[in-house]
Amino acid sequence: MYKLLLILKYLRRKLAPLFAASAVALCTAMVIIVISVMGGFLQMMRESAQRLTGQVTVSSDLWGFPHYEDLLDELKKVPQIDAATALIRAYGLINLYNNVITIEAVGIHPDSLNTVTGYRETLYWTSQHLLDDIEQSMPPAELRNQREQALYESRRQRFEQIDLRDLGMTFTPPVTRPNQQPQPGIVLGIEVNPYNRRGHDGQYDIATSSINSELTLTLIPMTQRGTVMEPSVRRMVVANEFKSGLYEIDANRVYAPFDLVQQMLRMDEATQVNPETGEPTGQMEPARTSEIMLRGKPGVPLDELRQAVSDTVDAFTAARPGLPYLRVQTWRDRHATLLGAVEKEKMLLTFLFAVISVVAIAMIGVIFYMIVLEKTRDIGVLRAVGASRGGVMSIFLGYGLAVGCIGAGVGLALAASVVYNINKIQDFLTQRFNFTMWDPTIYYFDKVPSQFDTTEVTVIVVVAILSSVLGALLPAYLAGRLNPVESLRYE
Amino acid sequence: MTDTATQQDTLLQATGLRKMYRMGGQSLEVIRGVDLSVTRGQWLAILGASGSGKSTLLHLLGGLDRPSQGSVVFDKQNIFAMRGPRLDRYRNRHVGFVFQFYHLLPELNVIENVLLAAMISRSVPAWAGARSQQRPRALKLLDRLGLSHRLNHRPAKLSGGERQRVAIARALINQPDVLLADEPTGNLDAQTGDQILEVLQEFHQAGQTIVMVTHDHRIAQAADRVITLRDGKLDPEQSEAS
Ligand SMILES: Nc1ncnc2c1ncn2[C@@H]1O[C@H](COP(=O)(O)OP(=O)(O)O)[C@@H](O)[C@H]1O
Ligand SMILES: [Mg+2]
Repeated sequence: MYKLLLILKYLRRKLAPLFAASAVALCTAMVIIVISVMGGFLQMMRESAQRLTGQVTVSSDLWGFPHYEDLLDELKKVPQIDAATALIRAYGLINLYNNVITIEAVGIHPDSLNTVTGYRETLYWTSQHLLDDIEQSMPPAELRNQREQALYESRRQRFEQIDLRDLGMTFTPPVTRPNQQPQPGIVLGIEVNPYNRRGHDGQYDIATSSINSELTLTLIPMTQRGTVMEPSVRRMVVANEFKSGLYEIDANRVYAPFDLVQQMLRMDEATQVNPETGEPTGQMEPARTSEIMLRGKPGVPLDELRQAVSDTVDAFTAARPGLPYLRVQTWRDRHATLLGAVEKEKMLLTFLFAVISVVAIAMIGVIFYMIVLEKTRDIGVLRAVGASRGGVMSIFLGYGLAVGCIGAGVGLALAASVVYNINKIQDFLTQRFNFTMWDPTIYYFDKVPSQFDTTEVTVIVVVAILSSVLGALLPAYLAGRLNPVESLRYE
Repeated sequence: MTDTATQQDTLLQATGLRKMYRMGGQSLEVIRGVDLSVTRGQWLAILGASGSGKSTLLHLLGGLDRPSQGSVVFDKQNIFAMRGPRLDRYRNRHVGFVFQFYHLLPELNVIENVLLAAMISRSVPAWAGARSQQRPRALKLLDRLGLSHRLNHRPAKLSGGERQRVAIARALINQPDVLLADEPTGNLDAQTGDQILEVLQEFHQAGQTIVMVTHDHRIAQAADRVITLRDGKLDPEQSEAS
């Protein structure tokens, strides 16, 4: 009982435990904040990666593989699979505002892709952007005459009726110019257009977007041997832009209608020709694609899904000799380098801060040693009235435990308030001191990501408390070993 | 008194006590063969000059220190043959220490300081049960010592005499067999010192065994037996007399 009483008394009386608890609190908060922000960053990248590649892909080389529709049918029958879509990857060029840019062109079926990856959500421009834009360029309060008023109203009404994301989903350019043939639409990665700039809020301005701009897309078809054929060139109009969250993708990729890309790459169904004579053989060359992307049923583990897909693909290729090698990969495999880098970074940072925390343990040790020195005479008194060595030791261990609990608790509260308000804090710092920790123009996220992982946080808190006890261990041991007679003489 | 009666009344029996300190290469013998018995109900004063080894002897009797040689028998057992925890328990249950410089814990108030010794042998749940008897006992003790109005004060707020009375209450809370007082008046003025002696006298009359150490002849007069310690040895003519 006296131990508890003394621990409580010592906690209330001294400045030293306050220092020790603050050190614990700061270390705990620091590690939690770093882990949460890095974890959030990682989580965002993972989500982006899955939004780009679905959960599992089946892919061949650039030349592609035939009979993909049969494979799609087979895959859709697999119980673990929820949705699947075919797409074609190719490399090419676009000429946008006389900028020639190399790109990766992906031919997609937007609706079925959407069921696999949630593609629609990545389309950046919504009608709200258009409405905001007219409000900006023609502020209703500043309209001078009826003509301007009428113009404003008509635009508003027109914009209210169109849904830019719907147009993106159907590759329809928002505005068809009169007496012009409707041109096919294309969706660009938001960083492809060099005029798109992220503001300090991390948002883009529709005024500089390439929406409705005309461009030419050049794709280079190949023979099965890999030689280049006559390039296909097509005029297209930008229907929308997308933002996947991975900069490398957004700066290099464009989406176009599947059938169009297939035709341009001569991967559609065609009559076979004899390569030597150039004469038609009378047989049909089947259509090809280069990739199938799929999503599992909710709750199906990734490895199980991958295995199911592998089995189906193996059976499919076994039944059709002459198919190129089909590679089955999970989204983790495909983004391994990128995710691996961030995961390592997170581990490294956690490790660094853990090392810093060792300093905090040492500090607790020193502070507790000072407390023991200061209390030497009292320790002698305790021994004289019958306290055991273990009893004296456990007072200081308990004291360490109490300091650890208080420190870790305060640190947890501190970290939680920072993590949950990190964007507000960031905005405040930016506005007040023009200081930006997480610059959206650099980091490519408009918000500071953060994620409070209960398991990780619990581990950190427990480790912080144990560390405090560990820091108090040696001083506590020394306190227990003190010779009571010497202690009583101690002044 | 018959021989057997004396034997039974012996509370503490020290035999051949020696205590050596090693300082560097030299060894310094502070207690050099002390035989001493304390009978129940006795007030024994050990008189000696400063540095003669009085405190050391008292610490040995109370089991706070271990001798280089010799034994102290309490209740038919040599206390130095006990393991640490049993010796701790001996100090807690059977001995009460009073020091020259009071040695109260500054963080605890008067009542907490007094209850400290009662808490030590009890766990938190055991204390929850025992508190209802121990607290009234402490209050009664403090009342007898005239400290009822000081219960919630911290030691820093008390005078020297008051502090020493709190220390006496703390030493007596577990109803020890012997009160070991190391110059209890040494840090007090004559008048306050006399008050402390009166208090001790009162407890002695109620049957409390006291061993008191002092360098002051006048103070030693209060005891019913006085022995003198000189250079770590008892004066032969007094040693086992009276
Ligand atoms: N730890 C120690 N090491 C060496 N000498 C000591 C130690 N403790 C006490 N002494 C010496 O023992 C002698 C007796 O001390 P003490 O019992 O305190 O005497 P008294 O209480 O009679 O003044 C003194 O000379 C003191 O210096
Ligand atoms: Mg002394």
